[in-house]
Amino acid sequence: MSDFPSSKYDRGKIFAKTGLKVGTNYAKHYLKNLRGTDKERNSEFYNQTAEQIFSEFTKLRGTALKIAQSLSIDQGFLPDEFSEVMTQAQYSVPPINRSLVRSIIKRELGSYPEALFESFDTEAIAAASIGQVHAARLKTGEKVAVKIQYPGVRDTIASDLGLAKSLFKRFIKNKAELDGYFEEIESTLRLETDYIHEGETINRFHARFSTDRFETPRWFEEYSTERVLTMSFLEGMHLKEFLDQDPSQEEKDSFGQKIWDFFHEQIHQSDEIHADTHPGNFLLTDDEKLGIIDFGCVKHFPDSFFKDYLLLLPTHLERDIEKIKSLYNRLGVLKGDPETNQTEKKYFEFCLNYGFTFALPYESETFNFGDPDYKELIRGYTKNAPVGNEARGNKHFLYSTRVHLGLYHFLMKLGATVETKKSREIVENRINETVV
Amino acid sequence: MNKITEEKIQISKSGALLYLKNPRFSMSALAEEADIKPDQMYEYFSNRRDVLDFFYEGLILEYKESILSIDAYDSFSLSEKLSNLALTILDLMDPYREFVRKTYTDLVVCSSRQTTFDNHFREELKAIYESDKNQSRLSSFLNRGPLYGAGTYNFHLLVRFWLKDESAGSQKTMEFIDKWTVFVEELHYSSILDRGFDVAKFIYYNSPFSNASKGTTS
Repeated sequence: MSDFPSSKYDRGKIFAKTGLKVGTNYAKHYLKNLRGTDKERNSEFYNQTAEQIFSEFTKLRGTALKIAQSLSIDQGFLPDEFSEVMTQAQYSVPPINRSLVRSIIKRELGSYPEALFESFDTEAIAAASIGQVHAARLKTGEKVAVKIQYPGVRDTIASDLGLAKSLFKRFIKNKAELDGYFEEIESTLRLETDYIHEGETINRFHARFSTDRFETPRWFEEYSTERVLTMSFLEGMHLKEFLDQDPSQEEKDSFGQKIWDFFHEQIHQSDEIHADTHPGNFLLTDDEKLGIIDFGCVKHFPDSFFKDYLLLLPTHLERDIEKIKSLYNRLGVLKGDPETNQTEKKYFEFCLNYGFTFALPYESETFNFGDPDYKELIRGYTKNAPVGNEARGNKHFLYSTRVHLGLYHFLMKLGATVETKKSREIVENRINETVV
Repeated sequence: MNKITEEKIQISKSGALLYLKNPRFSMSALAEEADIKPDQMYEYFSNRRDVLDFFYEGLILEYKESILSIDAYDSFSLSEKLSNLALTILDLMDPYREFVRKTYTDLVVCSSRQTTFDNHFREELKAIYESDKNQSRLSSFLNRGPLYGAGTYNFHLLVRFWLKDESAGSQKTMEFIDKWTVFVEELHYSSILDRGFDVAKFIYYNSPFSNASKGTTS
């Protein structure tokens, strides 16, 4: 049980302490490396450093932990050992004091959990960045998941983003443009802390995805407020548990196909997209459905952006360089002509090749995400991204890329082969239907 | 909790609400408000002050009753038990916040009488500290009256903090309680006090300086 550092000072102190620990680790590591390097030593070093960062970040919870989660998705930036430890950020935050949980429920729902529910498990089953989840049973006998927001977490959004922004501004040239990105992150995080908004989203997704292939929870509005969310409990296995069972290739493909189809069905039916493609948010339910369990981060992209974003797929598949160039200009990735400007050329070549790699799964009828060469290719691009000292691209890329990368990394981890022909048609139909 | 105590608690809560309308309310007005016969009222309380004092005593009695319904209470750590004590009493005070704002200092903190609320609160602290087996040796030794007195005084400060807390759902108060009780737990569970005591004891009995001052003779 740990207290929650919500003040700017407390949180800044933890950032500084983490920096100091990591710095010490690197110094030790380089001293050791003077005597030669080996892979095992590097692995041990990354694990140790990642665990220390993780341990400090879990104390912060809130926004800082969200950053850790993002890093675990965008694996290309981090060594494997690092990503593995950071992936835990989804589930393994120290839970808050059990008395606090009781009191929050009393204040939010009007009664203590023992009076409100038939049973309430005081031990959290998952504790993440913004809140923790408890299993409970309603008086009707239905098993539910009760998500409780940490007190003061909303206040940390502004202070953590303020800290991050001041750090970024030190090495970003176009400081004014940075504000747009931070506003996008802040508004998304603020919505994530509004559990009524999440409950309404749960209802919309439940109406859209109650099929024989997908399962989403139901929202219990009468047991929910802005800071407490009650939904039906989905039983099932997360990706890690599924892989631990040593599943057959057929089982992996079936799981993979469901998550692939889920994302394309979203494009087909609406422009509301589940934007938190983290392995912790998906389950394989007992009746072999894809269970989707967290609806805090669901994005509604503007048509103008979404159509251009989707158009990147057919233009890359057709290798239409002029159209691609024009799209990247509209999406704010290019700021000039790559033919005449060396910097623009560098960005364009990178985006073009990255785009080809991302479009690769759609080129044939099926695609094997378990292919290690493909994984290396994606990692290579992420590592060699032309990171300049300026912010580029439409602010909506922040979350669209997160969805896309998250989906690909999920499938690569799973090692699934999926059928992609139908999904290509879905994207093309959606482009034709969208009027800007 | 027996029926009479339950009834007394309900009457004192009615008294708290009536106090906000008229601080000099009569016992007959309270009997009418609480839907009880005046004779029966006088069996429970002799005057208005008794009613208002019992409002605070009732909070502790309700808190004690609530513990019985928490299945895992025995497994709570020191910080969880202390948080539960503070949070439950504040939860019970919450619907009567205005009454607490107007009377807490006079009826509890600076009362001319030895308040039963204070006594009960100290007893609860004593029960919590003495039942916790994870404390270091030295901190167990410190489980005495002054510790419970300090704990009660801290609670009075906490009530003042809560009354001024305008955050949604009193989140700041929750954070404060969380931080404070974790700090207290760290102090009580830490063996550094034991180690420090061992060192001090060793030096006291084996100090080379005391021998040096006396001088040595062969």
